[in-house]
Amino acid sequence: MNDFLTLEFKFSESHTVFPKIVLSILVMLLILIVINQVIQRYKDGKLTDFNFKFFTGNYDKLKFYGTVALLIGYGLTLELLGFLLSSILFMFLIMLLYIGNLKRKAILLSLANSILTSFIIWFVFGQMFDITLP
Amino acid sequence: MDIFSILTPLSIVLVFTGVFMGIIFGAIPGMTATMAIALFLPLTYALDMVEAIALLIGLYVGGISGGLVPAMLLNIPGTPSSLCTTFDGYPMTQKGQGEKALKIGITASIIGGFFSLTILYFFAPILASIAIEFSSVEKFLVILFALTVIASISKGSLLGGVFSGVLGVYLSLIGMFPDNNTLRLVPPVLEEQLYYGFALLPVLIGLFAIAQIMQEAEEGMKPAAHQNINLSKNKKNKFSLRIFNGQIINTIRSSVIGTFIGMLPGVGGSAASITAYSQTKNFSKNPEKLGTGEPEGIISSESANNGLIGGALIPLLSLGIPGDSTTAVLIGAFLLQGIQVGPLFITTNPELWSGIVSTLIIANILMFLLMFFSIRYMAKIVYIPKYTIYPIIIVMCVVGSYAINNGVMFDVWTLLLFGALGYVFMKIGIQLAPFLIGFILGKQAEKYFIDSLKGSDGSLTVFFTNGPITIILWLMIIGSIAFAIYDNYRTKKTAQEETITKVS
Repeated sequence: MNDFLTLEFKFSESHTVFPKIVLSILVMLLILIVINQVIQRYKDGKLTDFNFKFFTGNYDKLKFYGTVALLIGYGLTLELLGFLLSSILFMFLIMLLYIGNLKRKAILLSLANSILTSFIIWFVFGQMFDITLP
Repeated sequence: MDIFSILTPLSIVLVFTGVFMGIIFGAIPGMTATMAIALFLPLTYALDMVEAIALLIGLYVGGISGGLVPAMLLNIPGTPSSLCTTFDGYPMTQKGQGEKALKIGITASIIGGFFSLTILYFFAPILASIAIEFSSVEKFLVILFALTVIASISKGSLLGGVFSGVLGVYLSLIGMFPDNNTLRLVPPVLEEQLYYGFALLPVLIGLFAIAQIMQEAEEGMKPAAHQNINLSKNKKNKFSLRIFNGQIINTIRSSVIGTFIGMLPGVGGSAASITAYSQTKNFSKNPEKLGTGEPEGIISSESANNGLIGGALIPLLSLGIPGDSTTAVLIGAFLLQGIQVGPLFITTNPELWSGIVSTLIIANILMFLLMFFSIRYMAKIVYIPKYTIYPIIIVMCVVGSYAINNGVMFDVWTLLLFGALGYVFMKIGIQLAPFLIGFILGKQAEKYFIDSLKGSDGSLTVFFTNGPITIILWLMIIGSIAFAIYDNYRTKKTAQEETITKVS
């Protein structure tokens, strides 16, 4: 019994002790969840009934993938173009995407918001408070 | 009073700014106090500690309070904790008593705020003086307790909540283990970037802000259903303090519930106001009227949710454990200023402690004045379109992440990665709040666990035999698990009954 309650480890190995314990708890929980699900499904009589949908019905493909693409693009251009240029570009494009049309008003609004916000952030953070910007 | 002497004019201006911005964030549905604090963190790099805290506390108080505006006017809770405000606030608006409802809510908020502040002021030092005696064994058990409590309040499945919390712990272990300076769980390519693991702040804002925006994008950024609201059609029925006559017990009870639920690590959010509201319903003289636009319901929900603030700060300042996701961000702010919160915090930083208390007093008063006298204009905030505000938020998130370690591009990628992860988590039922608390507490849990074992030569019995406090902590842990199982069982049962009645 005493052996079971003792956990011996060498100093050089001490970094693996806790992650191993946590990982085994995770696996145990996962097994429990699966068993629970199977029992629940068996009771309801729909053991093989899978209708899990990742996206909500008729989701906005353009806006969703557009957001993902623009976010990655923003990350890539940040150090390349510098904070001001890449932020203005990113904000302008993503605002147009969210408004969802290319009317004059939408373009003007996006342009104003992106330039104004980027400059204010650049000035307040970068110049006044001396915070490192890309 | 000498506790105010630490405040400079600048810090008062910053509290004001904080409260004002906080109310705006709270009032926009989908923006929370947590997000407001996370976004303003970069600004605090340039401030000294008291001023930084002034800004952040202002944001906290304003953010929690601002949530009542859309709750009453649009039937959408601006923050999770103002959920129950919608039950009676919105019906009152529909009856044309919107302004009266808002003013009742604001008054209840300040009462709840001051009540919890008093408890914080007297209780936190006592708890800290007990916690000073804790060895690594007790510290590990306190964290274990915090993790079990999160699981017990997790909505939906209990197992899912526990899983989310443990997953957070696991991901926090990535990087170097400070005891023997060895890396683990790191892919060879990213050894340099992940030497210290993922930075807390990008993870945090990624999970909350970016994930939220991705979800809104999926739904097509639809504007919330805005109704035409006439704030006070009914001129005769104006707000007066007389409404609070006969509501004194209700107000006090709800503030107490809010404060004590806020104290439980990891709970926070909507649990406080839901509990307070259901108790008000139990004790009410005419419970059937609640939910149709009764001031009683607004008072209970709002005093409880502002009571939460002082409550949540108690474990943060005395044990170093966040009471909710907002105080979790506050921990990040303290760390940025090089201050470790924990049992020693109050005794070693007396001026900071009085700074926090006096800031809270001022923030509550400012919140009340700002909202009470300008509520008609404040109410217009809920009409700012999402397409203007979200791009600004993304850029602020990126700036915050980049600047946190003085310009590390990898932190921006962390932000985006955890934004995507948070989005996937929401879809597959992993809960963000338990995950986050696990992530924050994970490394400490490991440290105390290994330290305890080193002290006992690897014997696990040390976790049970280390004095009376360990026994109390184990009882608390078992109690919270038992409560969780009971509560889970009960909600399942009522859900079943409801479907049965619906079918029949």
